[in-house]
Amino acid sequence: MLILTSTGRIVVFAWKNFIRNAWIGLATVFVLLLALLSVNVLIGVNAMASSAIKILEQKIDVSVYFVPETTQAILDQARSYMSSLPQTSSVELLTADQALEQFKERHKNDPTINQALDELEENPLGASMVIKASKVDYYPFLMEALKNPQFSFAIESKTYDDHAVAIERVKEISQTVRYFGAILTLVFVIFSILIVYNAIRVAIYTQREEIGIMRLVGASNAFVRLPLILDGIFFALLALFLATGAIFLTLTFFDPYIRSFFDGNDPGLLSYFFDNSGRIILYEALVMIVLVSLSSWAAVGRYLKK
Amino acid sequence: MISFKNISKVYPPDVHGLKDISLEIEAGEFVCIVGSSGAGKTTLAKMLIAEERPTRGKIEIGGWDITKIKRREVPYLRRQIGVVFQDFKLLKRKTVWENVAFALEVAGETRKRIKDTVPHVLRVVGLEQKAHRFPTQLSGGEQQRVVIARALVHRPKILLADEPTGNLDTMNTADVIDVLKKINSFGSTVVLVTHNREVVNSLKSRVITIAGGRVISDKAHGKYILN
Repeated sequence: MLILTSTGRIVVFAWKNFIRNAWIGLATVFVLLLALLSVNVLIGVNAMASSAIKILEQKIDVSVYFVPETTQAILDQARSYMSSLPQTSSVELLTADQALEQFKERHKNDPTINQALDELEENPLGASMVIKASKVDYYPFLMEALKNPQFSFAIESKTYDDHAVAIERVKEISQTVRYFGAILTLVFVIFSILIVYNAIRVAIYTQREEIGIMRLVGASNAFVRLPLILDGIFFALLALFLATGAIFLTLTFFDPYIRSFFDGNDPGLLSYFFDNSGRIILYEALVMIVLVSLSSWAAVGRYLKK
Repeated sequence: MISFKNISKVYPPDVHGLKDISLEIEAGEFVCIVGSSGAGKTTLAKMLIAEERPTRGKIEIGGWDITKIKRREVPYLRRQIGVVFQDFKLLKRKTVWENVAFALEVAGETRKRIKDTVPHVLRVVGLEQKAHRFPTQLSGGEQQRVVIARALVHRPKILLADEPTGNLDTMNTADVIDVLKKINSFGSTVVLVTHNREVVNSLKSRVITIAGGRVISDKAHGKYILN
């Protein structure tokens, strides 16, 4: 019963302090808001970089060209073997007839090519197969798999060698972006921790006299500390609420401009924040609550020792 | 009831705040501790509420040795001693009612007891009409009476008043001293730390005079003897 009464009083003290301390509270909330926004900007940049890399990675594939007289049975065998590999994401087989049709469609306005094709009695094109790996790292493995003696003799050429440099470059870029993204995130997190800690320290500093008075009238350390910690949590949650609102409003407003910047492609920023909003808000709330609680605990402790 | 035995306080490197002070104060007494600024009277008062610790000696209150009191026990000591300060020490963001009730709330008193006690003590100090004002909306004398009301809520056996009239005019000074006398008449021990000559001489109570960290005079019906 006593614990319940004390808990109730601590919550009421914290709430009244939060309301009556509005101006100093507002300054604290503003600083916490800036820290949250800077972290979210970084989350957004990381998401955009990942999405750009993913788009680049998706554009990579290996085309395999078969000699024109390859039978359908061998083509099917090649397709089913490559599809069965866990490293393969997709396999698309184009028969000789489909290849010819696509070629004609592509060059329907070029009379020279059409005339040349008409003069040929047989289909000069062979079948082809477009293979995509589930990860960029798997392409060398897939190239080895294409050496399967059951169908390798029918392969005329592969485009991997042409793409190898591009694939390596994309891999390098993606690793570099992830590496620097991690370092930048760490730096931002450290800065944010320092900003939050100092904001809370200043907020507590303005109440140092009150802390002394509370102790003089017989308040236990917990009774002094807990309302101030709770107060800090109120600040953090208000800052998080404002930061979340600001981010969604800004993204919704700027999304068309961001798309046009990426030549009409969706960089996935808005959808990233919408899809992950629950997780981001939860993690940020937890981190802020822990951070603010520890900061308040340490900051109040200074005045409790006196 | 209150006993100081060979109390000394040395501030590093070697500033002597108090030098070998021994005195006893009986239950129900009204004692004035007087001295000029820096004499050591506030240091002595602070030791009563464990805000300062003696370098040597022993302090007992009602048989409780508070010389080496543990930090977690300090709140319990302070709930048993009412304290009044020159600078009021009121919580600015709490109303008169909340300031007074706070002393009970931190002690875990029930809501009913708080509702009964707070109006009662506010009546004793004549502030029941201003219960919902904030300290900044009160005069100095009224603020000091709120502090006294707060000090009274635990019905303390000891009331320690450290320069309670230091910031008040003559009228408010008389009011506050009257309230202190009233509290003493209910049976509480009142320890008044002051350097106000008129107040000390008008009380005709025990006067302990401190100078240079030592007790230089202790008279049952004393007068202010310093220049």
